[in-house]
Amino acid sequence: MIHKTTIEPFKIKSVEPISLSTEEQRISYLEKAHYNTFLLNSDEVIIDFLTDSGTSAMSADQWAGVLRGDESYAGSRSWHAMRDAVQFLTGMEFILPTHQGRAAERIIYNFLGGEGKIFISNTHFDTTRANIEYSGAEAIDIPCAEAEDSASDFPFKGDLDISKLEQLITEKKAENIGAVIVTVTNNSGGGQPVSMSNMQQVTQLCKKHNVLTFLDCCRVAENSYFIKHKEPGFENKTYEEIAQQTFNYFDGAVMSAKKDALVNMGGFLALRDKSIADPCSNMLIITEGFATYGGLSGRDMEALAIGIKEVFDPYYLAYRIKSTAYLGNRLSEMGVPVVLPIGGHAVYIDAKKLYNHILVKEYPGQALVCELYLKGGIRTVEIGSVMFGKYDANGDLIPAPHELVRLAIPRRVYTQSHIEYVIETFEEILKTKGQAQGFKIFEESQYLRHFTAKFKKA
Amino acid sequence: MKKRSWAEPYKIKMVEPVFMTTRKDRERYIEEAGYNTFLLRSKDVYIDLLTDSGTSAMSDRQWAGMMLGDEAYAGSINYYNLEDAVSKYYGYKHLIPTHQGRGAEHILSKILIKPGDFVPGNMYFTTTRLHQELAGGTFVDVIVDEAHDSESEFPFKGNVNLQKLDNLIKEKGADKIPYVCIATTVNMAGGQPISLKNLKEVRDLANTYGIKIVHDMTRVAENAFLIQQREEGYSKKSVAEITREICDLTDAATMSAKKDALVNIGGFLAVNDDEVFEEARNMVVVYEGLHTYGGMAGRDMQAMAIGISESVQDEHMRARVGQVYYLGEKLLEAGIPIVRPIGSHGVFIDAQKFLSHLSQDQFPAQTLAAEIYLDSGVRTMERGVVSAGRNKTTGEHNYPKLELVRLTLPRRVYTQAHMDVIAESIIEVYNNRANIKGLNMVFEPKYLRFFQAKFEQIN
Repeated sequence: MIHKTTIEPFKIKSVEPISLSTEEQRISYLEKAHYNTFLLNSDEVIIDFLTDSGTSAMSADQWAGVLRGDESYAGSRSWHAMRDAVQFLTGMEFILPTHQGRAAERIIYNFLGGEGKIFISNTHFDTTRANIEYSGAEAIDIPCAEAEDSASDFPFKGDLDISKLEQLITEKKAENIGAVIVTVTNNSGGGQPVSMSNMQQVTQLCKKHNVLTFLDCCRVAENSYFIKHKEPGFENKTYEEIAQQTFNYFDGAVMSAKKDALVNMGGFLALRDKSIADPCSNMLIITEGFATYGGLSGRDMEALAIGIKEVFDPYYLAYRIKSTAYLGNRLSEMGVPVVLPIGGHAVYIDAKKLYNHILVKEYPGQALVCELYLKGGIRTVEIGSVMFGKYDANGDLIPAPHELVRLAIPRRVYTQSHIEYVIETFEEILKTKGQAQGFKIFEESQYLRHFTAKFKKA
Repeated sequence: MKKRSWAEPYKIKMVEPVFMTTRKDRERYIEEAGYNTFLLRSKDVYIDLLTDSGTSAMSDRQWAGMMLGDEAYAGSINYYNLEDAVSKYYGYKHLIPTHQGRGAEHILSKILIKPGDFVPGNMYFTTTRLHQELAGGTFVDVIVDEAHDSESEFPFKGNVNLQKLDNLIKEKGADKIPYVCIATTVNMAGGQPISLKNLKEVRDLANTYGIKIVHDMTRVAENAFLIQQREEGYSKKSVAEITREICDLTDAATMSAKKDALVNIGGFLAVNDDEVFEEARNMVVVYEGLHTYGGMAGRDMQAMAIGISESVQDEHMRARVGQVYYLGEKLLEAGIPIVRPIGSHGVFIDAQKFLSHLSQDQFPAQTLAAEIYLDSGVRTMERGVVSAGRNKTTGEHNYPKLELVRLTLPRRVYTQAHMDVIAESIIEVYNNRANIKGLNMVFEPKYLRFFQAKFEQIN
């Protein structure tokens, strides 16, 4: 028989208790955290959808790898396992291990960036943008037109706008472009996949103009799933083959392995060109660690080598994508305005639509984040004007294009009953939506303010 | 130090096989590695004394802590446990976790050092000095002269020469000196301690000029143990008490927890100053990770919190340093020239004396490290002219007074039998030393060249 139910292709080997709380307790926790869920203690949270980064449950095989970890400072066996696995996937020769993704970004974008340079991407993620701007360069987003419409069900909303790219290359001149970065899947744009044909076009155009291309591949397996099932011509390829073909187009790749490599810590920079790899390797040793560990313990490299293979298991990917879609579709059916189609790692709520009574400058996304925590102890993150807003010369907010709230689902961690609990909480959110209030920021830092900003009720 | 056996205050719970090789295998491996022990693969190494950094065996309690890792991105319980441990054992007010020590050095140097500044310290350390230089500062060595003399028996070769420090401040002006960097213990001098008496004098001098003291505290508990053994008035105090007293005399600290704190990865920046803390907290997010994990997995923060408490136990330190002494004394008895007094984390062979027929341009320490590997598969590290790099302005080699090979002992990893094998091998190499030829450098990286430089044997 063919089953309709998608079960987890694993059983649970080790559990971690959840500390439950009452709504009354959560009111005081949230007040103490200045209405910023990043500042909550983890034991004050019931369902943690803050991020899918570094929060995966590792497999028994990965834990065995943790115990096998070779902690030798130089030339560790675990490094060789990681290097081989990453070379096999990316087809790139030079692999630089880093403690996590943002260190790889810092190394490469500092090297390629600086005053006067620009970087172009489908959408720069928060840490990517911070690293680029910190170097003095400018970060420009060119998502395709369909990405702007949260209700459109175009299957590859992560695609880049090719004509805009062409225009930018002509306008800004190829030599001023640090790199074009394609992020798969496009996290800030709703976890939306990028099609193979778009990546092919982007990289061909860049090659013609001698512009470097980088793949931010932290969710490359999830992106491969969408390509196989939605893009013609890939039906008979494995997910891993699709990923390998993706890497083929690019000059380099950065990865936060905390996503699709199913680990709690780790990342890498992969390069083809020795003349870029050598100076980057110098910087790696100075700021991260020696070239054969880069700031990772042996055990973390071992777990990464195993995880980056496990993630391509077809049963795992089907479970992953379908269980995310289950939550998204249920919410959509209830009338919650979600970004469609549902992405791979998270469900994104359009808070501007849900809370149309809250002004953008009072952060409707932050309001929903706080409501979800108060009503259900669910921790989520705002991806809108708190994360990406800027101020103009008069100190007025330049809002981000969207006011989204992300429910990022950790891999292999929560069961269907956790998801049902979240859905139930949204029923209450819908019922009481008129009562939600906006917020004002009273303390913030210059870069990545969303991590530490403090809010008060508007 | 009173001679006594150092039977370990623990038994073995988990083992890792080591690989045996033949001399013929090793000849091939070291040639492929360009006669640089850093470039050997760990599977080709029998006993690995390359470093004590990140190579410790964790305790069963630490492994249990690993299973209690709370991998929440923000507000992990393990962060708060680590904060408690740092505050309890070291006493610093604010904690910023980093993926390892150099992450903390990177952030602190960026915040405190302005171009044109001078940073005095009790001898350089490779990564520390580089971060100071990248931030626009110049490192100035103000360690006592005895530190550069491998034969001096002075018990506190990590001490600061107060006159040198005072002269520097007078010459450059206090506003050009963001802080004094004090390392416990001094790695490049052979794991030598600073005395509390000297540190108090440095504190007084720094107070006079309103200069901060930053503590490079990676082996602070080992330094505390050597104070307990050597400094008048401290024999009755515990390692934990002395550790705290050292930290209390300083304003901020960078920690590579991969040494004293008995973990395989991790570090932190700790500061008392609220403003520096705020700035560092904003910066750590860009470079390392959110301020409640800073680039460390939750489990690693938990293991560190436990490791810190284990590291300041007197019995632990007695076995730790006792093992180093056991090896060092065996070598001394055989007449091998080593740095005296024996330090806390390793035995340092004076390669210039060992291979007295080689000039420093023939890289005697690099040569000796390769020869020891060839003889027995024991991996050691050069700490001499290769590590010292080149002068920023002249481009010449920096010729350090100490040309050393470091035999660093990982914590709780090797047994007494391993120590015997190491000693026998070095004695064997010593007996054949006249036949040993030097090396030519054939590849030289721009920064921290010792990591990846390649050499060929001189024919």
